[in-house]
Amino acid sequence: MIVSLTNRFKNRPVLAAVAGAVFLMGSLTWASVTKAAGASETPVKGGTLVYLEQQPHTNLYPPAGGFYPNGGILNQITDKLTYQNPETLEIEPWIAESWTVNADATEYTFKIRKGVTFSDGTPLDAAAVAKNYDVYGRGNKDLKLPISEVINNYDRSEVIDPQTVKFYFKKPSPGFLQGTSVIGSGLVSLATLALPYEALGDATKIIGSGPFVVAAETLGRELTLKARTDYNWGPAKLAQQGRAYLDTIKYIITPEDSVRIGALLAGQADVIRQVQAYDEKQVEDEGYLIYAPSTRGVNNSVVFRPDNPLVADIRVRRALLHATNADEIVSTLFSANYPKATSIIAKTALGYVDLSSRLSYDLEKAKALLDEAGWKVGTNGLRQKDGQVLELTAYESLPQPQNKETLQLVSQQWGKIGVKLNVLTADSGSATVNNLDPAKAPVSPAMVGRADPDVIKSQYYPTNRNVLLQKGGNSDKVQAFLDEKLNTLLDNLASEPDRAKRLAIASDVQAYVVDQAYAIPIFEEPQAFAAAPYVKGLSFEAVGRPSFYGTWLAPRH
Amino acid sequence: MTSMNTTGRSLLQNDAGVLEGSSRVFAAGHVGNLSGLQWLASLRGIKPGLVLAWSVIAIVVLWGLFPHWFTSYSGTVGVARQQLRAPSADHWLGTDALGRDLLARIIYGTSQSLSGAIVAVGVGLLVGTALGLVAGSARGKVESAVMRGVDVLLSIPQLLLSLSIVILLGFGTVNAAIAVGVTSIASFARLARSEVVRVRASDYVEAAFGSGGTFLRVLLRHILPNSLTSVIALAALQFGSAILAISTLGFLGYGAPPPTPEWGLLIAEGRNYIARAWWLTTAPGLVVILVVLSANRISRSFGKAGA
Amino acid sequence: MSRYVIGRVGQALLVLWAAFTVSFVLLQALPGDAILIKFLNPELGLGPEQIAEIRASYGADVPLLSQYLHSIVNFLSGEFGYSVQAGVPVGDLLLANLPPSLWLATLGFLLATILAGVVAVLSTLAPFAWLRSLIQSVPSLFVSTPVFWLGILLIQVFSFQLRLIPVINPGPWEALILPVLTLAVPISAPLAQILIRNIDEVMTEPFIAVARAKGASRSWVLWKHVAKNAILPTLTIGGILFGELLAGAVVTEAVFGLNGIGGLTQRAVGSQDIAVLQALVVFSAVAFVLINLAVDLLYPVFDPRLRIRERAAA
Repeated sequence: MIVSLTNRFKNRPVLAAVAGAVFLMGSLTWASVTKAAGASETPVKGGTLVYLEQQPHTNLYPPAGGFYPNGGILNQITDKLTYQNPETLEIEPWIAESWTVNADATEYTFKIRKGVTFSDGTPLDAAAVAKNYDVYGRGNKDLKLPISEVINNYDRSEVIDPQTVKFYFKKPSPGFLQGTSVIGSGLVSLATLALPYEALGDATKIIGSGPFVVAAETLGRELTLKARTDYNWGPAKLAQQGRAYLDTIKYIITPEDSVRIGALLAGQADVIRQVQAYDEKQVEDEGYLIYAPSTRGVNNSVVFRPDNPLVADIRVRRALLHATNADEIVSTLFSANYPKATSIIAKTALGYVDLSSRLSYDLEKAKALLDEAGWKVGTNGLRQKDGQVLELTAYESLPQPQNKETLQLVSQQWGKIGVKLNVLTADSGSATVNNLDPAKAPVSPAMVGRADPDVIKSQYYPTNRNVLLQKGGNSDKVQAFLDEKLNTLLDNLASEPDRAKRLAIASDVQAYVVDQAYAIPIFEEPQAFAAAPYVKGLSFEAVGRPSFYGTWLAPRH
Repeated sequence: MTSMNTTGRSLLQNDAGVLEGSSRVFAAGHVGNLSGLQWLASLRGIKPGLVLAWSVIAIVVLWGLFPHWFTSYSGTVGVARQQLRAPSADHWLGTDALGRDLLARIIYGTSQSLSGAIVAVGVGLLVGTALGLVAGSARGKVESAVMRGVDVLLSIPQLLLSLSIVILLGFGTVNAAIAVGVTSIASFARLARSEVVRVRASDYVEAAFGSGGTFLRVLLRHILPNSLTSVIALAALQFGSAILAISTLGFLGYGAPPPTPEWGLLIAEGRNYIARAWWLTTAPGLVVILVVLSANRISRSFGKAGA
Repeated sequence: MSRYVIGRVGQALLVLWAAFTVSFVLLQALPGDAILIKFLNPELGLGPEQIAEIRASYGADVPLLSQYLHSIVNFLSGEFGYSVQAGVPVGDLLLANLPPSLWLATLGFLLATILAGVVAVLSTLAPFAWLRSLIQSVPSLFVSTPVFWLGILLIQVFSFQLRLIPVINPGPWEALILPVLTLAVPISAPLAQILIRNIDEVMTEPFIAVARAKGASRSWVLWKHVAKNAILPTLTIGGILFGELLAGAVVTEAVFGLNGIGGLTQRAVGSQDIAVLQALVVFSAVAFVLINLAVDLLYPVFDPRLRIRERAAA
């Protein structure tokens, strides 16, 4: 083509020059266009994001934000005192500019940023912060507001001046700082705190200071969030401080898995939550993106209730641990986004130690342990001892991904060493009641997400979630089981102010739990999202909840 | 849920069936030997649809009774890492998420589904008909009380009723079937009662009473047999909707505990994989459609012959 | 006549009361309770004393009889309480879910009637016996299809593959097309069967033969005489079907992500939200009783024979 061009222009130098210049300019522009498309990182302001959620929210009282549909909304409409950097897990300033902690972590003083207001105009100052934490730390019996799980040993608050607030604790509370950054500590207006718990399902009544505000709600179906134009207080270390880029976010409840994915791929939605592992390939094939932030807490595992005599013997528990092939489970049901567990907490969690050598899959060892414990294989292939069959039961856990299939696979694996595991499905009522009874549920699935070593205490301590069902906890069906050593370790974990020592205790606890085979960790559970390629700036807080503050929509091709 | 309630009489079609033609030929054949041509003519009367329906039911019954004849795979234990395979020579209908052969799951699920449907229809039929009979025969206050009781049953949302029953009895195919059956009691009761009322008013029953028959004897000898035809027709029709109602309970999460294979549960569970492995939900769905169609076809043929 | 009406109304009230009581007993018999489920939820991480306090403040362990009486008094005064699960007043929930259900049920029923009518008419006018048989098998096919399966298939084909109808964030009318179709298909089956049978029966009546003898065509006869007579039984079964539609469209709602009474019921049963369930029972019982009463009182209006019989009986 060049040859013919030059031929054409042989006798017309000016024309040639002009043509050449045009050509040159054209190619330069083309280059800059392609360069811009490749490096187009200038956020576009405006637009509506359509986000598909699987279940409707149940309650927007911030300490109830653990439930992902609740947390997904709270994360956009409320701010917290501090910001936990999702990558480094360090605590950074947000509504609080700075803070001091006394030596034994019983007094915390926070300096509040100036100029922050709730979306109804009332100021977010020290008094408001104090009131918030009074409710979260002590609850409110009249309004039936429960205490927040992340605040331990709270005593009282004190407003020193309009920008300074101090908190006092009865016992050392080293996890409190991280606790001010979690979803459960979102700050809401005083009017919101005056509402009874049972009325907090109405999203339009929740007034926070976040970058978005609830503009409209169709109960059980959809929610419209609008950006707050006067927002000016993003997390201190972020470049973005002003209002969010998006104008509107539409949350739409879409319970069917296939409809959520189909809608995304057909261009009817922009971001969806809960993408199953088996659907990931389809999403990626179409050029869409999977985001699978880790929940950084206790791994998806199967725990025992040692109060039940069948699993009271440590040899039985160890045998079942070695009979569980986590590799097989992950490769059959899940994907690379669900890494095999190597401890009871995730690799990305604080205080993690690698215990994979003690979590090996070893059928022969498992069989030997059961033989040693006196369980012999009977005629029907099941282990028996003193006329009892080693038959266990577990209730499926609906919020955990593919839990029914996981438990069935575990049941198949345990069948190889002669142990029967019945997987039961039940409605919430029966499951809740029966799960509190070690006789009915000697085995149970478990998982909790929180990016602080306190999460282990949350899981195992009798007066918290008490997954092992120890005596003195939420179950009155427990006969005797109590592990003093474990509880002491957990207590120490929650009250050790020195960071290095705390992490050391964390590793002790992990080693102890694995040693006692109280839990069989299977995989590290992420929150799986899928998004269109033109959705930029989608980020997640430390436990995998979406944050749309920095999100913007690039022009679609 | 699509249980078919009706206050009408028999729901069976009554077209001029060729079956009547064929039965005439057979009758003729009893007089003398059937000649070859007459036999061939009688064959023309046999509808291919009916033959197909019977064969489907026969195969399905055999699946239920002797599943191991038809497949060497297990219906409950899967092979890890063989999950979600497409239909192939090894697995005619592919494998599910745990590597279980789908055809084996369907075959082993037959006894579950069929027994569930039978229990569901049985509960509705027995309890409902008994109530209807009592109401229709007794008249007066008893009838009022029974029918108002049936009304109460109908006024409580059926979904609430069936889910609550499943929760109370525990999750399982039989319990789900009982829940479905309870929700159909009302329609059986109403139908039975209206049939009894109709038969009671007829001449021969009046005659029976007039010639000195006791209430119970007249009930058993005359009223019962004549009112049951349409009730049984309704039962046959409910068979198919019972299978579907049980599958709907599975869809809502109230199905049998794993790893029980059951057609409705297979359809419900397979729907999640519709984009990646559509055969998981389609195959059991087609099986259910075929079985229900065949059952309805057969019940229609009974209706024609009997009516 | 008025004695009859008063009697029927009295019975209706009795049924209402009985439904309320039976459901109260049934719901109390379910294991666990809403407060336990909501607050024992691991996401809240509450300890046992806190849960005990909360239960006390909700009055959960008050004796059953007094709970029952409280319940009745509240309902009579229009106070339906709060939904423990959704965190809003029960009245709000009903208001958000009733209208969509009504829309869906009405449109679904209309479409079902049209579908049934089309099938019935086609089968009557079919020239060949095999065609007739084929068309008459269509209701069986409709009724054998699992509703959620049909719904998901329709979405996959029409919304995702062909991209004709958006299923997310659709306009008010677009949102109804696929769900109404999904709902209408299985409901049209019994309607079609009844229609077909009734048409057949009426066709064999002597007065039809007279009309034909006088020279009327089949279709004219169909419209003029048969339709009127076939309507009555259809209305009866229609009343029941409509009630089912209203309460049972749970599957369609779940698949299409719509608001509705069915989904509300299912969520409430799952979380044992007794306040919501009691309200639903009351609403459903009232609707059922009213519809029945209306049908009972309107039947004589439609069928003159019944009017005469009644006068004779009175």
